[in-house]
Amino acid sequence: MIEFRAVTKRFPDGTTAVDKLSLTAESGRITVLVGPSGCGKTTSLRMINRMIDPTDGTIFIDDLDVRTTDPAVLRRGIGYVIQQAGLFPHRTVLDNVATVPLLIGWGRRKARARAAELLEVVGLPAAMGARYPAQLSGGQQQRVGVARALAADPPVLLMDEPFSAVDPVVREGLQDELLRLQSELGKTVVFVTHDIDEAIKLGDTVAVLREGGRLAQFAPPDQLLAEPADDFVSSFVGRDRGYRRLSFVGSDGLAIHPLRTVALGEPAPPLDEWALAVDGAGRPRGWLPPSSTVDGPLTEDALRPGGSLYTKGGSLRGALDAALSSPSGYGVAVDQAGALVGGVVAGEVLALLRSHRDDS
Amino acid sequence: MIHDLVKYLSNPRNQDAVVHLLLVHIRLALVPLLIGLLAALPIGWAAQRYRRVRALVLGASNVLYTVPSLALFVILPSIIGTRILDELNVVVALALYTAALLVRPVVDALDALPAHVLAAATAVGYRPVRRFLTVELPLAVPVLAAGVRVASVSNISLVSVGALIGVGGLGQLFTEGFQNAYNPPIVVGIALTLALALVVDLLLVAGRSLLTPWQGQRAGRRRLVGAA
Repeated sequence: MIEFRAVTKRFPDGTTAVDKLSLTAESGRITVLVGPSGCGKTTSLRMINRMIDPTDGTIFIDDLDVRTTDPAVLRRGIGYVIQQAGLFPHRTVLDNVATVPLLIGWGRRKARARAAELLEVVGLPAAMGARYPAQLSGGQQQRVGVARALAADPPVLLMDEPFSAVDPVVREGLQDELLRLQSELGKTVVFVTHDIDEAIKLGDTVAVLREGGRLAQFAPPDQLLAEPADDFVSSFVGRDRGYRRLSFVGSDGLAIHPLRTVALGEPAPPLDEWALAVDGAGRPRGWLPPSSTVDGPLTEDALRPGGSLYTKGGSLRGALDAALSSPSGYGVAVDQAGALVGGVVAGEVLALLRSHRDDS
Repeated sequence: MIHDLVKYLSNPRNQDAVVHLLLVHIRLALVPLLIGLLAALPIGWAAQRYRRVRALVLGASNVLYTVPSLALFVILPSIIGTRILDELNVVVALALYTAALLVRPVVDALDALPAHVLAAATAVGYRPVRRFLTVELPLAVPVLAAGVRVASVSNISLVSVGALIGVGGLGQLFTEGFQNAYNPPIVVGIALTLALALVVDLLLVAGRSLLTPWQGQRAGRRRLVGAA
């Protein structure tokens, strides 16, 4: 558990970076600090491992005032993942990961063995250990950065905009990976980002900071979207927050209707309604519009591209989006393997949402 | 001319003298190079860290480097209490020049280190001295090596000036030839000075490559690795 108790940081030039910040990051959870630039989120993070010391107030890690510990020793017990990875360019990937174990006095062989283990944990091939950081892509470097932070198995992990320098597709992969790792390792993570979507996706709890380092709201993401504390938070979480909040609403009880299907590669009968084309494994491939005529076996050329897919058991957001993006008006529901289960309709998603609201 | 040169070099007494002067020259050039480098590192480190030290150190090094070498050779004995004809005068003077020349590259090299790498080094728990020796210094090698190459050439040429106070390695071949109006020692002196400068430079380049294996062929390999 990391506790900020009325922490203030004023820099010598008179700017107040953090203003009487009080919050608690629960053990084994991801706490996200989010806000525009100049809101003091990185400063707050760096006060935890004493890269910056507060002007006022106290920070506790498990009831221990961080200022009573030697900074270097404190830092070796706290994993830190920095923007752009911050790998040491002159050391191989393996030696980068082995840094902290070596600093705390492990033998070289043991440290390297542990580093090799960590590469596997973050999903990098062992052969990559012999490379230098400059020979890796941005996403790979970031994984090495995470491996380095985890090497000595610290209970606390600080992450400073770790994924901001990689492209959106890679970033999404890294976020998913972090959530998977966290579900296995259960670290106390404090994560800094300026991206509210990232905050909502990763955070168990989200602290929204505003300029001048004042805490605007500290709440689970669901509550942040449902009940923003003020105009600043509501404009910061964005315009489509009502829609995004559906990510946190389960879809139990949503009716799934049978759909008219046609098989790819076989002749299609004349139809007076939309029909979903499926392949041999039962996966949806696209929609065949009503009263289309198909000569010979059905090919993908005759199909209209489908909308997004709703994985059965997922959130209402997935279900609603599938329905809204489908040309037929039926959202396509699939199982975990991607095979067709049936169709969902937008009106029923909204009706389910209304019944949830009436219940609560 | 060629005839004179062959005659000069075939005399065993001259051969011994030239070899001796070459060794002296190497010592007089490289010992100060090493001392100057070792002095420039902590001075440059302090200058890079503290703004006041920086202004002082960079100013002083500029001034020092403008003092003519001959003048320095001549006044040093009265400052450090050596005899006029002491090798130490040349060693100290050249070490001072080397340090003056290298302080700025040290500061520049440290300035140029990427902030996120330094922040990461602090964050994983390096203390300042260990961080300097194991992270900052190795990363500064490319810029530093360029400075050391310049300083080595400068030293090898400046040693010759010491001949005017009687301690000058190969430079003594110049004074000897000049006094006797006899060219061969001068030619041999010039050739050996150039050769020495070239060999030392090649060794420094090789040493730099050895110290920076991480700098090789990065662009080519990156393409092979692909995206994450």
